[in-house]
Amino acid sequence: MLKKILLLNFIFLLFIGCSSDESSGNSQSNSVWEQKTEMLTNWADNFIIPGYQELYSKLLELQVAKNDFISETSQQNLDIIRSKWLEAYILWQKVEMFNIGPAEQSFYNNKMNIYPTNSTKIELNVQSGNYDLEDASNFSSQGFPCLDYLLHGIQSTDSSIISLYNENENYKNYLSNITNQLVSNTLYIKEQWVTYRSSFVNSTENTATSSANKMTNDFIYYYEKGFRSNKFGIPGGVFSNNPFPEKVEAYYNQNISKLLANEAFDAIKNFFSGNGGYSLEDFIDNYATGDQTNLSSEIKSQFYAVDDMIAELDQNFHNQIQEDLIKFLSTYDAIQQGTILLKTDMLSILQIATDYIDADGD
Amino acid sequence: MILKINQYLHRTSDAASLAVFRVFFGLMMLFGMVRFWSKGWIYSTYVEPKFHFKYFGFEWIKSPGEYTYILFIICIVCALCVTLGFKYKFNMALFFLSFTYIELIDKTTYLNHYYFISILSFILIFIPANAKFSLDNYIEKKQYDEVPTWTIDSLKLLLIIVYFCAGLAKINSDWLLKAMPLKIWLPSKYDLPIIGETILQYNWVHYVMSWGGMLYDLLIPFLLLYKKTRLFGFLLVIFFHLFTAVLFPIGMFPYVMIVSTIIFFEAQTHKKIIKLLKRVVYPLAKNSTYNNTTVSNFKYKNKYLILGIFMVFFIIQLILPFRYMLYPSELFWTEEGYRFSWRVMLVEKIGYTNFKVKNLKSGKSFYVRNGHFLTDLQIKQMSFQPDMILEYAHYLGDHFESQGHKDIAIFAESYVALNGRSSQEFINSKIDLLSTEESFKHKYWIKPFKDEIKGF
Repeated sequence: MLKKILLLNFIFLLFIGCSSDESSGNSQSNSVWEQKTEMLTNWADNFIIPGYQELYSKLLELQVAKNDFISETSQQNLDIIRSKWLEAYILWQKVEMFNIGPAEQSFYNNKMNIYPTNSTKIELNVQSGNYDLEDASNFSSQGFPCLDYLLHGIQSTDSSIISLYNENENYKNYLSNITNQLVSNTLYIKEQWVTYRSSFVNSTENTATSSANKMTNDFIYYYEKGFRSNKFGIPGGVFSNNPFPEKVEAYYNQNISKLLANEAFDAIKNFFSGNGGYSLEDFIDNYATGDQTNLSSEIKSQFYAVDDMIAELDQNFHNQIQEDLIKFLSTYDAIQQGTILLKTDMLSILQIATDYIDADGD
Repeated sequence: MILKINQYLHRTSDAASLAVFRVFFGLMMLFGMVRFWSKGWIYSTYVEPKFHFKYFGFEWIKSPGEYTYILFIICIVCALCVTLGFKYKFNMALFFLSFTYIELIDKTTYLNHYYFISILSFILIFIPANAKFSLDNYIEKKQYDEVPTWTIDSLKLLLIIVYFCAGLAKINSDWLLKAMPLKIWLPSKYDLPIIGETILQYNWVHYVMSWGGMLYDLLIPFLLLYKKTRLFGFLLVIFFHLFTAVLFPIGMFPYVMIVSTIIFFEAQTHKKIIKLLKRVVYPLAKNSTYNNTTVSNFKYKNKYLILGIFMVFFIIQLILPFRYMLYPSELFWTEEGYRFSWRVMLVEKIGYTNFKVKNLKSGKSFYVRNGHFLTDLQIKQMSFQPDMILEYAHYLGDHFESQGHKDIAIFAESYVALNGRSSQEFINSKIDLLSTEESFKHKYWIKPFKDEIKGF
């Protein structure tokens, strides 16, 4: 009798299971291993390694411009080094999210782009000539933001900047060291990735420390912190009673905050879609069931909405905040909507393993 | 009727069953606590956090900070003594107190498994599990051959209640008709050998596992109770729990359940197990003159008091899992009455909750960085559990007020994705959470669930 019941149940289940296949996206021609390997390979070969490569090449150009400026401190060379700095900063936006492997263990991001930069500490370092750039206390007195200050902020006019460099050797030294540091930091990353690549691409297990999971988490972290909070939230005063317009990225140059934000957001969109290759969007499409089958389109629509809002902002976020804070904060809100989709809906589907503690599925 | 009850209460069974249960329970606890320690979780759960989520009525329980390690040592030593049957009653009681205290420190770590151990160790205090095969026998030169059958049956009853409630909980439309959340969880285990890329990915398997799990929970008590099906039932228990152990990160739970199920076997089996254990233990003990006075039956000194305690205990255990019915709205959404009801691995829920602190006079506001106050695990758990959201809001309120902010209100902007649905707004972000207190009343500030789940 019991056996009959169990048999009937089994047949019933087979029937339900086979007939209710609403999840049309579940046709995995490739196994999950293969999909993840494809995704990681796409990330490594089309985003990460070329990204660092391009950045490195550009930083070499910056280094040359720096050397020229130091030997001949002219307005022309100042203009050249500034534009090289900007070109490099733009390329930086593409790799900031890859805080994994060599970048993670060498605190690369901290050494390259902590802002607002600590101008007081920079001045102290310049005068004393005594500092260790590897030390955490100097993370906010080096990197791109530091160069921003050194090239645009140490004086209020170009001619006084040039004079200062000419009068005070210390500034030249610091400028040189900071620039060289950018180059050597990036060289290290670039070289490490030659060997790191294979362990990265092959780490497809569903554990907390696998590269697929870590990179997804890094991407989300960058979206929420590096992009949303750093470029918009903190300057806009989301986390404080009042806005801090002086905390925008590239404060001393100012006119490029929107440019940098756009570059960063393009990097985010491209990474999500895979730029022609396999990435999170495809993964979601393969895994989403029921309600969530439209998730990737929802995320992309939200991304377009963010694009539109950023387009309406002033080139200069510092000014934007002071002239129309509400508009700036609406952009923040649009970005925030994306955070919700990534951190709840997407993570729920991807089931990224964490290893905090035992779980109850509670 | 009363006569039958009285007859039942006077029935006795071989104490071997309790002895085996005690030894294995003690070993599981020993291993479990040491494992928790070895993974560094004492630090991350009890020492590192600045703030802990308190249980209702147990707000006075504080984390001993660095001294938590001592608490664990006490617990471990007690578990060892219980295994050996040394000063059993005292150590069992101390184990219960120390273990339960540890669990009461922070709601974040609530697991049905830990709740199970707490209540099990509670009744074990009053059960003569050291009647046989214990150091106490050796010390007091007394051992008991038989114990009241109802002591053994109490342990079986507890297990039956757990399975039954767990099975009942699976009778809901998400679990049975949508195979949720297994439909999300199983495919994510693609890295398991052989089954990962095949079986776990198939739609029909998700349904078989959901229905199978429900049927298993409901039927296994019967299979274990009847002699003919007992062995088959036990094999099913092993298979089921090992399978879940492989699939999910649920720690010691499967093993505790497997080992506890041995209680269902008859005395003969337990005697054989003790013989096996003796072969291990006796070579270690020196040639001791094992002079005992054997008394045939264990008798309680205050039997009716103990029976009274057990009755109240089981009545509570039968009622508690159903208290959710007193609340309106969807249980999986509001979680009112969710804990202590054996809803194990039932729901996939992720939340994202941010808090806005607003000065009511100036109108200015700012968002809180949760990472400044809570650990990652705490943030994860708080994000989808309303009582924790409320408690955290009050904590933030106290914190900012102590920093000089006046006239503040705190609003929660919260989104939750449940069992594969799109994320929905979870908390009414227009209600000042500081204006409401924790209570047993329904939390009106939870936004309604935009769907329906039928069943238990």
